[in-house]
Amino acid sequence: MHVVIIGNSAAGLSALESFRKENKDAKVTLISKEGGIAYSRVLLPYYLRGKADHDNFFIRDKKYYEDMDVDYIEDTVECVDDKKKVISLEKGDKISYDKLLIATGSRAVSPPIPGLDAEGVYNMWTLKDAENLEKYFIKGKRVMVLGSGFVSLQAAWAARFKGLEVTIVELVSRIMPNVLDDKGAELLSDSIRELGADLRVNTMTEKIEKLEDGSFRVYTKDNEPFEVDFIVVGTGVRANIALVDGTDIKTDRGILVDEFMETSVKDIFSAGDVAQGPTTFGDKHIIHALWPTAIEMGKVAGNNLAGKNFPYEGSLNMNTTQMFELTVSSMGRFNEGEGDRVEVLDGSVFGGKGYIKLVFENDKVIGATAVGSTNIVPLLGKLRPLIRKKTVIDVPVEKLGAYLHLQIAKSNPRNIMKSIKSS
Amino acid sequence: MFIVTMDPTKCVGCRNCEYACSYNRAGTCSSEESNIQVNFYPDENACIPMTCMHCEEAYCLSVCPAGAISRNEETGAVIINENLCVGCKMCMLACPYGNIHFDSAKQVSRKCNLCDTDEPNCVKHCIAGALNFEEVEEYDGNRKDCDGIIMRALKEGGDK
Ligand SMILES: Cc1cc2nc3c(=O)[nH]c(=O)nc-3n(C[C@H](O)[C@H](O)[C@H](O)COP(=O)(O)OP(=O)(O)OC[C@H]3O[C@@H](n4cnc5c(N)ncnc54)[C@H](O)[C@@H]3O)c2cc1C
Ligand code: SF4
Ligand code: SF4
Repeated sequence: MHVVIIGNSAAGLSALESFRKENKDAKVTLISKEGGIAYSRVLLPYYLRGKADHDNFFIRDKKYYEDMDVDYIEDTVECVDDKKKVISLEKGDKISYDKLLIATGSRAVSPPIPGLDAEGVYNMWTLKDAENLEKYFIKGKRVMVLGSGFVSLQAAWAARFKGLEVTIVELVSRIMPNVLDDKGAELLSDSIRELGADLRVNTMTEKIEKLEDGSFRVYTKDNEPFEVDFIVVGTGVRANIALVDGTDIKTDRGILVDEFMETSVKDIFSAGDVAQGPTTFGDKHIIHALWPTAIEMGKVAGNNLAGKNFPYEGSLNMNTTQMFELTVSSMGRFNEGEGDRVEVLDGSVFGGKGYIKLVFENDKVIGATAVGSTNIVPLLGKLRPLIRKKTVIDVPVEKLGAYLHLQIAKSNPRNIMKSIKSS
Repeated sequence: MFIVTMDPTKCVGCRNCEYACSYNRAGTCSSEESNIQVNFYPDENACIPMTCMHCEEAYCLSVCPAGAISRNEETGAVIINENLCVGCKMCMLACPYGNIHFDSAKQVSRKCNLCDTDEPNCVKHCIAGALNFEEVEEYDGNRKDCDGIIMRALKEGGDK
């Protein structure tokens, strides 16, 4: 059997490792467009902030590929022929497969604003982007960050941390809709401004003009133009699905997969940012574009590539970061309208600052956000199994701490269990 | 492998384990610096010590986007390499038991590493026999039974 994995990152490698646990003999080929040893995108902002150095980027080493016994090809897959079971590479080679995993991830896309194609305008998505951006991350430089999602704000925080002059321009009325509820967004916005970044919401960027000295003049609607030295664009991502054009593989925004990570074509699987799969809430096809989801989907795909009957319990979005001196985290369905009851608790209940908000539906917790100090993050972690298991919580929320610990004691597979039982 | 097992029915809430861990790690006796946490719930009459169980399928380990978490081949302990950790806190969100903590001075995550010894400090200093360093097998007991005990503990104020 020949297994081909396209993608050398979270999903592809998680699949590879799970596959090899089950099958040591099959021939496996790994293909990556970006080439090189696997690195972690999540570390880009930490690198620019000076928290991680260049070596830290790499999350595997050369020996890993030998240990995993893979043929590693550094090339771009241009198309898949699902009838002949062959893929074509940019450099001209064709490779046939018995089973295929598409874990090509996603890429950053820019809005159609005139002038965004100039040099000095970057995304923050690849190792190369970070290497390009690094030379601009010097105290006193002026940057515009276009967009205010999770990745953009991480770029903005790295820049501010390094002493740059930061202007964040957001088209709509609030920041980070995928990660924070309105209240959290407000708290973070305050913190961003207090720490000296210029955050402009409800602001439409009309065009960018490159000046003779290499800097930029930015024109926004209803405001005076302003000048910056470079621009980071973080306004959205798209799944890398072009390679399946013309096949029977069903796509929407990404590649549609079932609970086994199999596509609509037998023996072709997909996982990670490129795959649109089932969630724990029963949605059939959602893209989270998150690292933990890519790891989980990869594990499921790897097992099924190895012929095991290994279904996914469904993805559960979870996200956390520390930026502008606040820790922000969220999980599941955390917006008011998504449940039938909302409980807000002061962080001090769990020994922290800030707040935690829980969203319930039929007395089952379906999501939470926490903004404030770090020590409320583990609480969200402890809630995750309850969200997954759809546990009815019939104690008052102030008792949640005790409840969660007793739940843990109850379900703990390794030890506490036996002592509670014998009591 | 050997791990620190915790028996809530024996724990008296003295926090000696926390101080022992904190002293060993950070040179101070502070609950906040400890990797083991004693959770005391007076209303429920429950005292639950909690530290890492070095899970076989450690979610913290598989999720770390920096490759900073690994398993010590000799002891089986799940450990964080603080030189690789960037402090993203994904592991804190991943651990279902709340066993990863944050070192705010170094801005990295921290957790129990079993002290790399035959007898971890918390176990050595437990005065009530609630903590033990024991070889564990996988749990395969009767879940329903325990559900009952827990719910009673919660609603009726303890099982002691
Ligand atoms: C700056 C930044 C910060 C982030 N921070 C977080 C965070 O804090 N938390 C979080 O959960 N997520 C975060 N993410 C998202 C996270 O990085 C992604 O969800 C994760 O990398 C997805 O993994 P993946 O394996 O699906 O795809 P990717 O990591 O995108 O990897 C895709 C792989 O496919 C290869 N490839 C693509 N097309 C082809 C082709 N045609 N032929 C051959 N090879 C191809 C690429 O070379 C690469 O190896 C962040 C992302 C960025 C950019
Ligand atoms: S930190 Fe949590 S998830 Fe990781 S090994 Fe310990 S108990 Fe398991
Ligand atoms: S905080 Fe450190 S150890 Fe934890 S997931 Fe992030 S990089 Fe890994």
